[in-house]
Amino acid sequence: MWGNFFSSGFRVLLRQKYYTFLNLTGLTIGVVAFVFIYLYIQNELYYDRSWKDYHHIYRVNEEYSTGGKLEKMALTPFLLADKLDSLFPEVIQSTRLFFTDPSDKNAVSSVEYKNERFDIPNMTIGDARVFKIFDYPFVEGNPDSCLIQPNSLVISTAIKQEIFGNQSALGKTVRTSVREYQISGVFDNTKQPSHLSFDAVISVNSLGKEEQKGLNQNWFWINCYTYLRLSDTVHPKQLEQRMNIFMDSAIRSYIRKENIQLEGYAKVYLQPIRKIHFSSGWLYDSHTNTNTSYLYIIGIVAIFILFTASINYINFATARSLKRAREIGVRKVLGAFRKQLVLQFVSEAIMLTFTAFALALSLVELMMPTFNQLVGKNINLVDSLFRGYGLFFGVLLLLVILLLALVSGSFPALVLSSLPPAGVLRGNNLFLKYRGKQQFTASGLRRLLVVIQYLVAIGMFISTLVMAAQIHFVENQPMGFNKNNVLVVNRPPDTSFRSRTAAFVNALKTDSAVLGVTTAANMPGYLPDKLLFNVGDTALHNYQSMSAFFVGDQYFHLLEIPLVEGRYFSNLPKADSTEEFILNEAAVKRLGFKHPLGFALNSPFTKKGKIIGVVKDFNFTSLHQKVEPLVFVHMPRAVQYIVLRIDPAHTQQALKHVNKTWKTFNPGYSLHDIFLSEKLDSLYQSDQKILSIFIYFTIFVLLISSLGLYGLSAFLVEQRSKEIGIRKVLGGSNNRIILLMVKEHMLLVLLAGLLIVPEVYIFMSRWLDGFAYHIELKPCYFVAGIVLVAIIAFLTVLLQSVQIVRKSPAISLKYE
Amino acid sequence: MIEAKGLKKVFQSQDVETIALAGINLSVEQGDFMAVMGPSGCGKSTLLNLLGMIDEPTEGKYLFRGVDVGTLSQKQKTRLRKENIGFVFQNFNLIDDLSIWENIELPLIYLGVKRQERKKRVARVIDQLEISHRKNLLPIQLSGGQQQRVAVARAIVAEPKLLLADEPTGNLDSIHGEQVMNILNLLNQDGMTIVMVTHSHHDASYSRRVVHLFDGQIINENINHSL
Repeated sequence: MWGNFFSSGFRVLLRQKYYTFLNLTGLTIGVVAFVFIYLYIQNELYYDRSWKDYHHIYRVNEEYSTGGKLEKMALTPFLLADKLDSLFPEVIQSTRLFFTDPSDKNAVSSVEYKNERFDIPNMTIGDARVFKIFDYPFVEGNPDSCLIQPNSLVISTAIKQEIFGNQSALGKTVRTSVREYQISGVFDNTKQPSHLSFDAVISVNSLGKEEQKGLNQNWFWINCYTYLRLSDTVHPKQLEQRMNIFMDSAIRSYIRKENIQLEGYAKVYLQPIRKIHFSSGWLYDSHTNTNTSYLYIIGIVAIFILFTASINYINFATARSLKRAREIGVRKVLGAFRKQLVLQFVSEAIMLTFTAFALALSLVELMMPTFNQLVGKNINLVDSLFRGYGLFFGVLLLLVILLLALVSGSFPALVLSSLPPAGVLRGNNLFLKYRGKQQFTASGLRRLLVVIQYLVAIGMFISTLVMAAQIHFVENQPMGFNKNNVLVVNRPPDTSFRSRTAAFVNALKTDSAVLGVTTAANMPGYLPDKLLFNVGDTALHNYQSMSAFFVGDQYFHLLEIPLVEGRYFSNLPKADSTEEFILNEAAVKRLGFKHPLGFALNSPFTKKGKIIGVVKDFNFTSLHQKVEPLVFVHMPRAVQYIVLRIDPAHTQQALKHVNKTWKTFNPGYSLHDIFLSEKLDSLYQSDQKILSIFIYFTIFVLLISSLGLYGLSAFLVEQRSKEIGIRKVLGGSNNRIILLMVKEHMLLVLLAGLLIVPEVYIFMSRWLDGFAYHIELKPCYFVAGIVLVAIIAFLTVLLQSVQIVRKSPAISLKYE
Repeated sequence: MIEAKGLKKVFQSQDVETIALAGINLSVEQGDFMAVMGPSGCGKSTLLNLLGMIDEPTEGKYLFRGVDVGTLSQKQKTRLRKENIGFVFQNFNLIDDLSIWENIELPLIYLGVKRQERKKRVARVIDQLEISHRKNLLPIQLSGGQQQRVAVARAIVAEPKLLLADEPTGNLDSIHGEQVMNILNLLNQDGMTIVMVTHSHHDASYSRRVVHLFDGQIINENINHSL
């Protein structure tokens, strides 16, 4: 009997190629989208959950307040880890990693091996215990001892592959411009999603003795991420309180000893490592961090997509199977029991749904590299299945597929077989027979499902439009300086560069395509330095923490930052050796000056000096943030970047010149340059990523919804074929009849639009609030969303209606 | 074999009541060949559906081989039907997606006949009706006459006691109609009881009895003395 079921089922599917294709496509797309979103969310939720004892691992964050200004940082002083480790027995293990600017992709370190240079994008310094907490799988070397020896370097498998290929890396020596390092370990960082993103770690013991001594004494040198593994019995909040009592007294005695005049406080927070990925508000936090609200949204979208695909499948399958009423009648007459009919249809449905399932999984596997590239992850389907709730969701999805087959298969069999076969065989219109309360409920339910589909499609579309508009806005918003045609070149990682900086800059100026050159330690778009400034009369002891840019003479001219009062820095020799500062308007406001020029300012890291000028506020971070107080320190010696303004008419000529000059002055080092506008655009990378995810899933949703709508309208049109026939016989024009069919759907779209607009408005307002500068939520976005979905619905229903009105009414009426 | 007492069938649609059969008394003996005639809408097919247990009477009693059908559950009726009754329809009602062989095999599958036995029995009727060279084709690939022969083969493969035929030649030309009537005739001669609804006097001439229906009632009954 099963053979018969499957052979006839197979033939039905083959014969009704068009329906099979549409139904298979809809379900496959639904499953593909669901699986991708699931994998994405699983990967996000799995961040930092693969470490051994991850429940007991915490990062220490620091909050401090000086002069009324609160700063919250993911960083702590270097010495903190050792202090906590020795003073608190609850701390089982501690480790530190030095801060490296993750937003600065150009700040690479490069190493030399066998006369060849290799870039290491994210190199950090760590103490010997890094791999005791972060138990990355080691391919070579011993994780417990690899960072003990000075000048030892541990690299990731990817870096190892790049430098050493398939050879062993252990014990090999590489050179940086400073010293030689011996490879003491190779770790695999491809498996554990984590907020950590380093590719190489240098042993902290490589630092000079003096440097380490300094680090071990200074409470204000906040430059390390500190991680602790606590005992499983400890209460973190209580421990935090005791740590803060200790911190307070330690910092107070440090201030006394160093004779620093400072008002304020510092506090530490123990942040569970598994929560870092979703945290925000801590400065210098991991650049991979994200927002849970995105996960909720795409999670809901995933469930919706699977739900819609399932409902569409059932709608489609039942609409199609009602066409097979006669067959059911014949089978009943020939003696089939209801159970056998159900099995017949279910076996067909199983064939289809499982084909869709298999097809979807193959597609997921096939598209995985593209997907990984899109979302910037390294997800593996098989790994994900055996991780967290992977297996549970795998089985759940399989059950959903099976349930779909059961429902879609048994529904027509049950409904049709409840009718007496005589009526079915007489060739009566089953849709008419099946009228009544049951059908009313069914069509009401179908309409509701269509409204839900429109609702989500409209919601997704409006959100995507707003996101795209906002990102376009931030990328094109005037920043308060001229970001165009500015090339930022990173200095070579070579300490002797200082001696040839001036010659290099002069050589760069020799080409007519280079309009100006300056040097700086800080640029807009990169993380600024933070300094404590003592304002005005030192007796007031009024310390303020503010962002600081160390810049050369031509900085303001080159970036075209307008002056409000005073003057720019000058390259002429100064009368005295005092420091010169320029403030932005926000800093003037913060410090409460009416006439800031000539006021004294100093900081522990600069000489005493005075304010010589005020510039207009400009955005030096992303437009997510308001313009913060900023102090420019004139320091031509501090060179991190060589900044060029280039003639836009001769960009290629300028780039060639820069390249050539670089090779002459810095042989062996690769050139890392980027246009400032590109760098600034990259600040919105995570927004861009979310936007592209939204674009893809909006397309998915629109596709699935239109497929579903197409199936549903096929069903409705079929149902009304007699009515259409009669209307045509009575002289109804094709256009009028089409209008009749389309009108209902337009009303449903409108209803869905009215229902979803308030929710989207609230959600998008919140999203936009994440930007200090944002677009207005104008009605045009909402209208556009509704209109687009209406157009899609119109075309879909039109396609079906045209087919039926073109039919001769004789055909549709003949079967009545 | 069949006894109908006061069979009544009323179709109810919202406010309208249509009386299809208004108290039919009828009996059919084993080996009989009865034709039911009458104008369109007189209730011929409704009567056939009631006799074939694929529709329920509104009133009256129907005894099939001594069993009161009205007292049976749906399942029992299905069983009784599939073991005893074969159907032939005007529009053949073959399943488009099954081959000729599979269409004929279907009643045996529903009867739970073993595969080997099914093979034998299908082969036998296929030979009997001279369609074995087309057994792997789909219904759509056959002419109307051939399709009706397949339908007959399917109706008799389970060796039913009663064959119900609803205008079996209605969709056929005269030559193919003649062929089908000859087959029914042969089956009846072999002992099969047949009840056939028809408009055609020619077809009715093959039967032993002709019952005339009008407005849901039997108005006349003739014995065919020519046979």
